[in-house]
Amino acid sequence: MRKYLLVLILFLLTTLAYAEDKVSFSGSLKNESSIRINNLNGDLTKEKNIVELAGQYKIKDDELVFFGKVKYWYDFAYGARRKLDIAQYYSEHIQRADWLRDLYLDYNRGPWFLRLGKQQVAWGQADGITILDRVNPVDLSEYWLPDMQDIRIPLWMANINYSPKLNSNLQFLFIPDFEQSTSAPIGGPFCTYSYIRYDNWKKAQSSVNENIYFPGKQFKNSTFGLQWSDRVGDLDYTLNFLNGYYYSARNTTIWLGGANYKVDRAFKRYRLYGGSFNKSFTNPGPMQGITLRGDFALYNDEPTYIGDPLIASAKKIDRWDNVFWLIGADRYVFTKWLVSLQYAQYILEHGKDKDPTLTQRQQYPMNAFTYGFADQLENIFSLKVSTTFMNDRLKPEILWSFTDDNQGRVSPKINYEIKDNLVLTVGVHYFYGNLFDSNGQYREENQFYANLKYTF
Amino acid sequence: MKKLVLFLTAIAFLWGYSWAAELEYFRVYKPKEGMTADEVMQVEYFVKYTKFAHDVRMEGKAYFIDKSGSVREKETARMRITLGRKSDDIAYKDIVMFTSPQVKGLATLSWTYLDPKRQQNVWLWVPSLKKIRKISAANADDSFMGADFTNEDILTRRFEDETYTFLRDEKFKGYTCGFDKKTYYQDAPCFVIEAKPKRSPWYYSKRVLWVDKKTGGGIYEEKYDQLGRKFMTLFKSFVIYNVNAKEYPAQVLLEGKDLRTGHSTVITNTDIKFDQGLSEDLFTERALMQSRW
Repeated sequence: MRKYLLVLILFLLTTLAYAEDKVSFSGSLKNESSIRINNLNGDLTKEKNIVELAGQYKIKDDELVFFGKVKYWYDFAYGARRKLDIAQYYSEHIQRADWLRDLYLDYNRGPWFLRLGKQQVAWGQADGITILDRVNPVDLSEYWLPDMQDIRIPLWMANINYSPKLNSNLQFLFIPDFEQSTSAPIGGPFCTYSYIRYDNWKKAQSSVNENIYFPGKQFKNSTFGLQWSDRVGDLDYTLNFLNGYYYSARNTTIWLGGANYKVDRAFKRYRLYGGSFNKSFTNPGPMQGITLRGDFALYNDEPTYIGDPLIASAKKIDRWDNVFWLIGADRYVFTKWLVSLQYAQYILEHGKDKDPTLTQRQQYPMNAFTYGFADQLENIFSLKVSTTFMNDRLKPEILWSFTDDNQGRVSPKINYEIKDNLVLTVGVHYFYGNLFDSNGQYREENQFYANLKYTF
Repeated sequence: MKKLVLFLTAIAFLWGYSWAAELEYFRVYKPKEGMTADEVMQVEYFVKYTKFAHDVRMEGKAYFIDKSGSVREKETARMRITLGRKSDDIAYKDIVMFTSPQVKGLATLSWTYLDPKRQQNVWLWVPSLKKIRKISAANADDSFMGADFTNEDILTRRFEDETYTFLRDEKFKGYTCGFDKKTYYQDAPCFVIEAKPKRSPWYYSKRVLWVDKKTGGGIYEEKYDQLGRKFMTLFKSFVIYNVNAKEYPAQVLLEGKDLRTGHSTVITNTDIKFDQGLSEDLFTERALMQSRW
């Protein structure tokens, strides 16, 4: 009901203002298809049609502006393939949660800028790796493959900005809303291996009583964020702080006797302290033309699974102070070839727990995506090369991201602008590595995809 | 007498040098008869980068036309603030917002410095990421947004990048624009200047420019490769705007042709407004962050 009411309000507002040229619209129709290409067997994994509509109403020039964006999609693959039927209910649920992508009011006057409503806020300089970019939860039903704006789940929040001097900004976020991060349902191509292992375990028990405890709708459960941005010489930097709930619930399993269990899923509060920087070397010299950027975050009290990865059994949740940092460099080489390199380290506070109530095998930190071993120090690399041909009509790009565990993903793609408003994208996602690693878990899910997008 | 001649020569040299080194911002300059090639080109660059105006905003349309005649279009809204500020070396700041549906929301902020050897600082608002990315300045010889002219043709080439030779005074034969089929500047008095890049090897060996005596705008140029073959032409049309009793030459049409591929690009600028009192706050990362699309 709320959905239809909001659409109606949006429609009425825009209709009223259209005559005064205060309203503008934009939208798109998109088809995304993908085929699993393992062992040369074609297997439809996605046949998704997406419609998006955005509109803005300038109530008072650029000082007061109302903006909204809605999105609806339906994936025919879930209906077409019996194997995926089990996922149908969950996929519909995901759509219900994220159909409203933006709905906010902007107020912009002097040093003040306020954005009030449903929105997403992106922090940090990293590409495709969420180190500081943790203000919004994420929808990983297609892993990290879609654009980040489609991965983030928007939240209702007050985004208040004050600029005390030129090129600086103090941002305060008050987020009373809460949504959990979501992942692919069982049967979906990008269901996490940890979910599959959990589901298999659940089926083997007589009864598993699952309970999920969301944070209560109280002021104290809100998320608060602060970001200070400034510029020193040629260096842009930010200082960041976030205090809120970790968007992924952590399971606590309680044995009730026999093959009966109770699984409590709860969200834990944590804090993020961090910063980011970027600098382009503009002065003549060997570094000229290079842009350096970096993120640093300390996750205070980050919930970390401890258990026996060999049998995917999490025994407890530790609250560790983990560190994630990244440095990246971009440069144009030759003509029009942009090379972008990133190196990141995710560092757990400990290599192993020292709980005397657990056996040695049960004291390992676990990868939440797979329930495999989590290294205390994970080295992550990414390399992206892109260029354009035919007067920017043809845009090839290749992304290779990998870790020191010999697992990763190679994603070449080509964008071709058929007409002004019609763009075709074709590409491949190739995963490799161990089944217990984040990318390796999808090594049977290599895919060829084609997207066709019409914009208006 | 000899001393007087030497003194006058020295004064003339110093005056000429100061002309060539720097023109004062926010004034209107026009080329005059008897100017050297360097002096004419100083004016041409001054007009090209609208250094006469405190700020300018305009709407733009770019048409990409391939050999078969197929046309792609992109729309932009642009703003520039001219600062010429020595304290932080900033010459001017630009913001370009794409408004056509396919790239709606994409916006770039660039700061250009007084020091000619310094590259631009560029920030990009990427709608698909919903965040700002600092990006490296593209190479000077890369295509400008897929057009048939290079980044340096539009953004980065400075007076100091080339050496100039005065070729002749000439009435321009006229240019018939392939886009609107109109003939521009027929018989317009021009200075013809040859410009050779100091950088070698470079993607062109020389440019021959026709500079309009009325506005100081470089209305037409031909670019030649290392073998002396003409491979690119660039035409610009200027219109005089009267702003606070000053005559501002504004570039309203630009057509670039790549003679090797047969592809051409046309940019039209409309709704041009000078000296609106734009605030420098509009040329910051925070302003970019406020993008909604």
